[in-house]
Amino acid sequence: MAKRGLRIIVVGAGKVGDTLVNRLADEGHNLVIIDKNEERLTQLANLCDCMCITGSGASHEVLVEAGISDTDLFISVTESDELNLLCCTIAKQFNKNLSTIARVRNPEYISDVNYLRSKLGIEMIINPEYEAAVEASRLLFLPAALSVNSFAHGQAELVKIQIPEGNILDGKTIAYLGQNITNDILIVGVERGADFTIPNGGFELKSGDIISYISTRKTNFNFLKSIGFNTRSVKSSLIVGGGTCAYYLSDLLIKSGIDVTIIEKDPERCEELCDLLPKATILKGDGTNESLLEEAGIKEVDSVIALTGLDEENIMLALHTKAVSTAKAITKINKITFTEAIESLKLGSVIYPKYITAERIISSARSRQAKIGSNLEVMYSLFGDRAEACEFKIREASRVTGVMLKDLQLKPGLIISFIGRDGKIIVPTGSDQINIGDNVMVVTTKKGFTEISDILR
Amino acid sequence: MKIRLQLYILGKVMAIEGILMLLPVMCGLIYGELRNSVIYALFAIFFIAAGLLISKNKPGKVTIYLKDGCIATALSWIALSILGALPFMVTGEIPSFTDAVFETVSGFTTTGASILTNVEAMSHISLMWRSLTHWIGGMGVLVFLLAVVPMSGGSNLNLMKAESPGPSVGKFVPKVRSTAKALYLIYLALTIFEILVLCFAGMPIFDSICSAFGTAGTGGFGIRNDSFASYAPHIQWIVAVFMILFGINFNFYYLIIAKQPGKALKLSEVKVYLAIILISTITITINVLKITGGSAEAARHAFFQVATVITTTGFATTDFDKWPTLSKLIMVCLMFCGACAGSTGGGVKVSRLQIRAKMIAREISSYINPRAVKKVQIDGKTIDPELERSVSVYFFVFLLIFTASAMIVSFEGHDLVTTFTAVAATINNIGPGLSLVGPTCNYSFLSGLSKWVLIFDMLAGRLELFPLIIFLTPMTYKGAFKGLFSKKAN
Repeated sequence: MAKRGLRIIVVGAGKVGDTLVNRLADEGHNLVIIDKNEERLTQLANLCDCMCITGSGASHEVLVEAGISDTDLFISVTESDELNLLCCTIAKQFNKNLSTIARVRNPEYISDVNYLRSKLGIEMIINPEYEAAVEASRLLFLPAALSVNSFAHGQAELVKIQIPEGNILDGKTIAYLGQNITNDILIVGVERGADFTIPNGGFELKSGDIISYISTRKTNFNFLKSIGFNTRSVKSSLIVGGGTCAYYLSDLLIKSGIDVTIIEKDPERCEELCDLLPKATILKGDGTNESLLEEAGIKEVDSVIALTGLDEENIMLALHTKAVSTAKAITKINKITFTEAIESLKLGSVIYPKYITAERIISSARSRQAKIGSNLEVMYSLFGDRAEACEFKIREASRVTGVMLKDLQLKPGLIISFIGRDGKIIVPTGSDQINIGDNVMVVTTKKGFTEISDILR
Repeated sequence: MKIRLQLYILGKVMAIEGILMLLPVMCGLIYGELRNSVIYALFAIFFIAAGLLISKNKPGKVTIYLKDGCIATALSWIALSILGALPFMVTGEIPSFTDAVFETVSGFTTTGASILTNVEAMSHISLMWRSLTHWIGGMGVLVFLLAVVPMSGGSNLNLMKAESPGPSVGKFVPKVRSTAKALYLIYLALTIFEILVLCFAGMPIFDSICSAFGTAGTGGFGIRNDSFASYAPHIQWIVAVFMILFGINFNFYYLIIAKQPGKALKLSEVKVYLAIILISTITITINVLKITGGSAEAARHAFFQVATVITTTGFATTDFDKWPTLSKLIMVCLMFCGACAGSTGGGVKVSRLQIRAKMIAREISSYINPRAVKKVQIDGKTIDPELERSVSVYFFVFLLIFTASAMIVSFEGHDLVTTFTAVAATINNIGPGLSLVGPTCNYSFLSGLSKWVLIFDMLAGRLELFPLIIFLTPMTYKGAFKGLFSKKAN
């Protein structure tokens, strides 16, 4: 990519900081990392193209050394919420055009988000626990899906499902699906084992394939129903571990009328949760105790969410759930990185708060960068970075506008996944066309698109 | 070991060597040296083609660990030297393989130790290539590679670390590539500036270019038999000043460009370096006053010789072998001292000596106040205990290699001063030593074995010992070829 990388300062080289820095460096940004822990910095600097400064991110001198005055983006992701807010506030004093992002996790501040944004000028307040809870809740509302991501302000969803044995989609081509089942969804990616393809009409689906498709929420339910999936939301949830994320999730679930049972070890925390969530059932005890799980109804509930602080425990819980019950299992993984091993365990839905956080921040950085010299609005990376979804705003007439999609000579490995027009989402077919003023989302395995016309051969 | 990665780097290095070889070809054509130009051009084309072919398989996203960086550096430098020696052999100017490799290694490592008895008999094209090897070797070919070839991943720093001189390698800017570019731009700008100044001072253009390459890389190949003695005094002054400039840590220039001259002037290494030069020059000037014609000449010779030795360049305006013992001893000490870290110079580096001196001071104070907690600080920053350790080990390894090399060379039966300074002048990348290898002599009389030992010393000295040692350690390759064989078995 010939685009200029942004100048970014990241404070805090912890779990999220580390993931973030690695990803941002891969995208060619100029990174400066500030952390008090020299050893962590050295480790990072050895493997990553960035500059490291030892010190406090709230120190004036350190920020000057990091070159704050010509920085574009300032991200503070240290362990402490207060420090993050302080860093962003101080950084903002140097440079009015600076965008600042702070990680704030404590639920006490959750209602202050708007205040912090407007008064302190912090562009984005990110709360990994809350984001993780939202993602988990989306999955619980649609348990058939492996993952659900929303696009275009929630109007479009990217849903991932696995085709089970004997499903009607097994052995059918994409074209057949369009002609006989529905035209309202668009399959943008198929993962078969380790392979990833952006399918064309002749592509034949097989059982075991993991398909990702774009749809709107309503058509999604209809589609899933028509191919024989259960579309009902879960009725009851068993949450193991009563941390912050569990609180956010329970709150979301209870509001939608789902029964929640929480198992928590710490008696004090149980009391707290009781105060915070009067409608939830709080059980005091060890979540790895089999009989306690049985008592809590692991075999009867619709879903089990493992949210303890220990990743190993969460994985074991999910495996246990799969073994003894038919409930949907969701596993939270905080720290460990053995992605391949975790994938091979087939845990079903796994959520990684650090990736969610990093992804949110990265897409913000991307949109900022994208605005420099292109009409790219937003860009997401999909399928473990094997594909990219780029959203373009069509501002002027070009070779792609006013032509039926089927007549466009598109590059291979590319699909126009949806067109946003007048606040509505159109899942396109060959006879649709792109107009001026539309938002167009393209999913592609080729990277580095900056213009909508880049999709043409 | 990542074979594909190593091949990729090796290929690119070859191609770069080929492209750079086109410069002497142009020079040869200007001077009408048709036969040699054709030879050089053929080699250049061959290197470019072969290099591109070898590096055709771009490695995927791989992490370059320090080990890989060391191997790549050692491999690149060895390949560079052997390939660079081929034209000398084919043109018949240096027919012996050992001699040709010695001359090229001496060039790339910016040593400037020559085996040529009559430099003036060389063709212009070969002289230019000889000097150009200094320029390439000065800042390093992998740094050049990083500057021009986009490589994925942030672990490239390990390539730079393995090649760049100095105890710790820092970056000016967040990205390795931008840092490498900045380094080369500063380097190129200073070189061009020197060429212009020398031309303006009345030096012939060919001489200016070759001298500037020799100075910039702190190399020291002269294009006249008497090195710099026959050039006008004001040219000697100019070259001496430029040698000192190239021996300064390049951070200094970057800080000046980045409009932080205050910070630049605070770099303690540069201050110490300049102080050493000043004190040595004054002492030698007084010491040699009697044997030279007047104080101006004494000062000029003293200054030039101090500059040439501390920056490890190796030009000469006078035969310092004839100086009094005190002056000679100072010269030998300066040989080991070397220039600043992050410059193009060789030697032990001022910053290492600084760290070492401060460690000694701390050790002494720990006897006086056993409970005192003290840390070694340079420029207000605490030196990492890891770095302290690596500096200590560096000194000892340096001593070991030095002693072992001197032992082997001593089998030839030359006097102690010759043996000692031959090794010192090569491992510190200076060039001329004292006695039989003094400024007016050369290394051609040594036996093949001694030459190979000195070749090793030059490479070890330029790459700061460890990359070469790691390259030669069998443990490095444990399991490296496993994948290769099992693939064949399938």
